[in-house]
Amino acid sequence: MRPKIAIFLITCMFIFLSFGLLNLELIQGKMNRDLSYKNCIRLLSQTGCRGKILDREGSVMVDSKLSYNVVILPQDLRELDKTLMSVSPILGKSPEELKKRFRRDYYVPSVPVAIDKNVDIKKAIAIEQIKQDTPGVIIQPEAVRGYPYGKLAGHVMGYVNEIDRWRLTKLEDYGYKTKDIVGFGGVEEKYDYYLRQEEGGTSVEVDHRGRIVRVLGFQPPHNGKDVKLTLNLKIQKIVEESLGDRKGSVVMMDPYTGEIIAMVSSPGFKPGDFVEKSPSVGNLFSSSSAPLINRAISAAFPAGSVFKVIVATAALETNKINLNTTFVCSGSTRIGRGEFNCWNSHGAQNLLGGITHSCNVFFYRTGLLVGAQAIHDYAVKLGFSHATGFELPYEISGFIPSPLWRKLNKFKNWFDGDTANLSIGQGDVLVTPIQMVRMMAVFANEGYLVTPFITKEIDGKDVSAYERRAVHLPFKESTIKTIRNCLRSVVADPSGTANILSSLSVSAAGKTGTAQAPPGQPHGWFVGFFPFEEPRFVICVFLERAGMGYYSSVVAKQIIGKMISEGLI
Amino acid sequence: MRSSQLLILAIALIIAFMGIISIYSSTYQKEGKLWQDITKRQILWVAIGFAFFLLMSNLNYRWLWDLTYVLYALALFFLLLVFILGAVRLGAQRWLKIFWFNFQPSEFAKLAVIIFLARYFSKKSSYEISLASTKFGIFRGIILPFMVVAIPMGMIIEQPDLGSGMMLLLLFTALLYMTEVKLKYIIMFIVIMLAPLPLFWHFLRDYQQERLLVFLNPNIDPLGAGYTVIQSKIAIGSGWLFGKGWLGGTQSQLHFLPESHTDFVFATFAEEWGFLGCAVLLILYYIIISEGFRIAQRTRDDFARLLAFGISFMLGIQVFVNIAMNMGLAPVVGLPLPLMSYGGSSVLVTFIALGILVNIDKTRSVF
Repeated sequence: MRPKIAIFLITCMFIFLSFGLLNLELIQGKMNRDLSYKNCIRLLSQTGCRGKILDREGSVMVDSKLSYNVVILPQDLRELDKTLMSVSPILGKSPEELKKRFRRDYYVPSVPVAIDKNVDIKKAIAIEQIKQDTPGVIIQPEAVRGYPYGKLAGHVMGYVNEIDRWRLTKLEDYGYKTKDIVGFGGVEEKYDYYLRQEEGGTSVEVDHRGRIVRVLGFQPPHNGKDVKLTLNLKIQKIVEESLGDRKGSVVMMDPYTGEIIAMVSSPGFKPGDFVEKSPSVGNLFSSSSAPLINRAISAAFPAGSVFKVIVATAALETNKINLNTTFVCSGSTRIGRGEFNCWNSHGAQNLLGGITHSCNVFFYRTGLLVGAQAIHDYAVKLGFSHATGFELPYEISGFIPSPLWRKLNKFKNWFDGDTANLSIGQGDVLVTPIQMVRMMAVFANEGYLVTPFITKEIDGKDVSAYERRAVHLPFKESTIKTIRNCLRSVVADPSGTANILSSLSVSAAGKTGTAQAPPGQPHGWFVGFFPFEEPRFVICVFLERAGMGYYSSVVAKQIIGKMISEGLI
Repeated sequence: MRSSQLLILAIALIIAFMGIISIYSSTYQKEGKLWQDITKRQILWVAIGFAFFLLMSNLNYRWLWDLTYVLYALALFFLLLVFILGAVRLGAQRWLKIFWFNFQPSEFAKLAVIIFLARYFSKKSSYEISLASTKFGIFRGIILPFMVVAIPMGMIIEQPDLGSGMMLLLLFTALLYMTEVKLKYIIMFIVIMLAPLPLFWHFLRDYQQERLLVFLNPNIDPLGAGYTVIQSKIAIGSGWLFGKGWLGGTQSQLHFLPESHTDFVFATFAEEWGFLGCAVLLILYYIIISEGFRIAQRTRDDFARLLAFGISFMLGIQVFVNIAMNMGLAPVVGLPLPLMSYGGSSVLVTFIALGILVNIDKTRSVF
């Protein structure tokens, strides 16, 4: 009896063991195998450099530099508190702060956590030296964005930062993942797909102490592709210097091709602040002067007197006036029930005089002859009220009102007074600096509406051919010629509003504008081109709340003057 | 050669071979001459064990009866020697360095105790043919033999080697069950042994307490005491149905699994050979143990019967505790897996025990 029970018990023990094995090896087998690989396979990721951004001559505007991160590998860590205590005096940060960062970014033991980024090379060496006492702390070099010229062309370049939720959902299918560094705004965002590096790495088998036993596979990282812009670094610098601290925007463009040669928006920002995670970044978002907005394309303002060029074009094209049509300016004129002012009493003015002196009364009258709808139509033909098709993201379309729009959207009638306001670029007119430049290019290149663009080459391949071709506008040759002469007269005539530019050795032409935008000071515009005979540059200087257009022509003069002295024209 | 002898020898050699390839797999990547020699040493031990098996299987087991007291005294002497000049390894003093090998007296003591108990309980009463133990009261049936066991057990526990000590206690209880001692005494004994268990807690060493706590929940200290169990479970589990293949185990080869050639050799084996390999191994162990029981039931000599039961129990309990401990189903104690784990004393003693078993079967018709 007893032996039978004993055998039975032994048999039960073996059955018990079999079930234990069954559970561990078959039921939990998948999980355990994953765990065993997690134990011994590690991915050492290597990242390449993000592509460089070059100017038209190939000079580096944005590149990558080496930064040193202090990283903790949790699985090699022995005592977190002790380790942080010995590291914190070197980094100059409190252990609590470092601990907080570690806690925040901790994921799994095999994924390193950065507790401090972009540390000084001296600190990095100091940390390397105490490596023996601080297991788990590693100095990891990383390529980060470098900006050799600081805030230069910050809006065009954009900045880079960790991907946000909105972009991640949009870009997940293209291989983007959390914590990726992506471009925000400007070229960085537009060509992120080309600029971004491809992550590579080595998968290695490690033993229980994390020592590499053998390499299982290697995928080399690829650097991002370089993007070459049409910007001219030297001119961009001149423009930024001339604009100084003033709020506003300057856009310079090749009138024939549409290549943007300089584009500035002020106040600007340092893209490098985002790399360094400097505390000033917060202010950029909250500041009332909106330093992150690219005023050249993402902000619209009333056009002011510059709009008179469009009214004049419409009037000449529709044959409502000729060169001899004259209106008398006595400082104001009565339209409907309102009294509409001019900024001066100009006396008898024909078209040449009207533009040269920027006479409001002449254009009130001309505008009424042409009609609001025709002015709207010509403005649209010259590229207003829709985006120019410029590459960089967040371009806005601006707005030109029309009687039809007023009826349909506001259920209100259009009065002659509205036409008068429209004729001098006031009222609901909103334009962007880049639209102004594009419009002016039509008169510089004699009849072609170009599409502005800023990318010349990507990865050494010429992409300018993909840009939209210039559209020929069916304007009369005489119209263009007349307007050109008028614009030249604005500078050349001693009483012209931009006469200050006549002292330059290069013959310029253009139109000033003072755009009322109450409350506050008016905006100042200068939109022109130079040299007059064979134009190579169209320029738009916009100064926000500057007071009057004159100041814009002063800035334009400074810019052109410096370009001359540096032999860039 | 009889069929049982052939069967036991073949299975023992197959298991030993499985052990050797597992030991090779777990050590061949380790640097140092010591590690490189381990497989060779184990092969040597198996060869010596094989020789002893042949010797014991041809030597009439009855001489053990005559030598019982000598063997027992020898075991005690060796255990005492351990305290005086034993080598401290892995924090415990369990080994005696004799010439060029380390001898673990506790392995030898197990066998000596079995022989002693077998003789003690199989004595015939002088006036009857029946066994003396049928008439044993509580003192002669339980207390006296327990004293015999308690002396070496206490010495082994003091080494400290709680596993082998408990092993002796279990062996004693199991063997007691196979004797003619009354069941109520046995149950009484078990109850008395179990009752003060909570009190023993305070006598346990720190690491022993830790191991017990970790057995209840390995995750309380995943990098300390619980580490071995966690890694061992991962190793066994990651074997899946077919295993990772010989030399393909990552847990054992990359040293995530400590003691992968000794107490945790089963995990090494399981990782590389999977569930199928383990099933074969379990079946082989089961055959060898049940063969031992069959031999015990076939023999008409009471001494031989108890001896065979004792040897079978010794194998069975060790196999069970070791594998269960590998799977995290028993607390981690320093018990080797017979025939598989690296270690000369264990291999040698197991082969000797199997040799005795075979000899019992051979001699039964003669007697």
